[in-house]
Amino acid sequence: MAKQFSIFLENKPGRLSSVIDLFERNQIRVLAMGIAEAGNYGIVRCILDAPEKAAEALRNANTAVNLVEVLIIGMGDLHSAVKVLGERGINIDYAYTMDMGRIVIKVDDEPKAKKALSEAGIKTY
Amino acid sequence: MSIQAYSMGKKEIREAQAKKLKEVVTRVYENSPFYRRRLKEAGIDIANFRPEDIRKVPFTTKTDLRDNYPLGLISVDKSKIVRMHASSGTTGNPTVVAYTKRDIDAWAELNKRCLEVCGVTSDDVVQVAYGYGLFTGGLGLHYGAERLGAKVIPASTGNTKRQLKLMKDLGTTVLACTPSYALFLSESAKEEGIDPKKDLRLRVGVLGAEPWSESTRKVLEEEFMQSAHDIYGMSELNGPGVAIECRKKDGLHVWEDHYFVEIIDPNTGEVLEPGEKGEMAVTTLEKEGMPLLRYRTRDITILDDEVCECGMAHARIKKILGRTDDMLKIRGICVFPSQIEEVISGFEGLTPFYQLVVDRDGPLDRLLVKVEVSEDFKSDRLTEIVDLQKRLEEELRDVLSISAAVELTEPRTLPRSEGKAQRIIDLRRI
Repeated sequence: MAKQFSIFLENKPGRLSSVIDLFERNQIRVLAMGIAEAGNYGIVRCILDAPEKAAEALRNANTAVNLVEVLIIGMGDLHSAVKVLGERGINIDYAYTMDMGRIVIKVDDEPKAKKALSEAGIKTY
Repeated sequence: MSIQAYSMGKKEIREAQAKKLKEVVTRVYENSPFYRRRLKEAGIDIANFRPEDIRKVPFTTKTDLRDNYPLGLISVDKSKIVRMHASSGTTGNPTVVAYTKRDIDAWAELNKRCLEVCGVTSDDVVQVAYGYGLFTGGLGLHYGAERLGAKVIPASTGNTKRQLKLMKDLGTTVLACTPSYALFLSESAKEEGIDPKKDLRLRVGVLGAEPWSESTRKVLEEEFMQSAHDIYGMSELNGPGVAIECRKKDGLHVWEDHYFVEIIDPNTGEVLEPGEKGEMAVTTLEKEGMPLLRYRTRDITILDDEVCECGMAHARIKKILGRTDDMLKIRGICVFPSQIEEVISGFEGLTPFYQLVVDRDGPLDRLLVKVEVSEDFKSDRLTEIVDLQKRLEEELRDVLSISAAVELTEPRTLPRSEGKAQRIIDLRRI
């Protein structure tokens, strides 16, 4: 199961840059990123290659950050994956694409989704 | 005497006040050169004084007390004064208040009444952890508890470990102190390995001398004592014992047979109706040594003149909402930082730090409240954050009676200083 970082940021120039700078300084690579915004703030959601190091760096920088369980599947499995999830009554809260032809999916019932996908033979990363 | 005070009806109270208002105005006119001059200048007809004429009487302010330092406002011969208390004078002279023997007696009686209203009886052990000395809190509650026949522990302030030991070993059932000290004692108890529910027998808290919130009450009643009551007073009005929360905790009953309360517009001095928010001005009806006419307390509250569910007819004031010194006027409505603090404290994931930005959009004032999120803020679902922001805005509108926009800011981005200048940014150029 993959860990996603959800970071609360003010919606103004330079804020995203400060977070990416922080990752650079700590040699953390961003594998996927999506931004949702509402008015003066937004949420930056990202998958990072060194979760523990990233969690520490973000905490030290006094960031409002949550760790969230997400599913990562191959783009080629998208059709069958959303079909299986839909049939099992699992809702997709949001999704965004990732490097390497993959897609990040946040569902409302992570364990159930994981089980459903594995039963359907769909690989998760 | 005290049974009478509780059972007085509205009509009886108003009649007593009408009579006593004339008496006190006459008394200060005859005995205080300061008031004689004031009343003459205002053209008050003492011989034919009617209760409504009180509105023509000029206000007395803290500046008047300072200007007439030390005892320029007494209305008895100095030989009758038996006690003097003084408040700290951070700017200039302190304010001195003076009591006759009868004043001390009345003060004890009022504090006894307050304790009784909180359910305290002669069987209780009352630990008075207000300061004893020039500050009136300690002695005021002490007199009240003693007059009630309770067992009094005059612990005064400080030495927290000893306070807790006394509480435990002497079986303290009533704690009288400031709300912040009660919170501190509660936390310290935990650190000392004392379980308040098992090791202590605290029933009642009589907490005053500073404004406090419902969230503080909740914490104290869950963790430390069964029932926390707000008590109001100030040395100019004897000290503690002016008003007290009954078991309904829906405002503080003012002992109207001793104090005549008006709520005024702090800017114009105009008297406001019950239900309207403004500064409390108090005329002392029984004080002998240093009676005060329409004394401006600088405390902001709302008067509720309905008979309380507890049965007492003495009018109530809301918990003190703030001080006139901190007041902001937005679209003609008084707004206090304390009200905003109270709203914010009811939400999870927010810090107590905030900033108010007031500016003007055409003819209209706009209020923006910047609220800082904490590091454990739930930051994944946008809908939840938008919802939290909306609920904050709704609650602020309910509490302030004007709409405010909320802006959420990242952790540790708002200024930490307690200074008013940094918490409030007024961009209006009037």
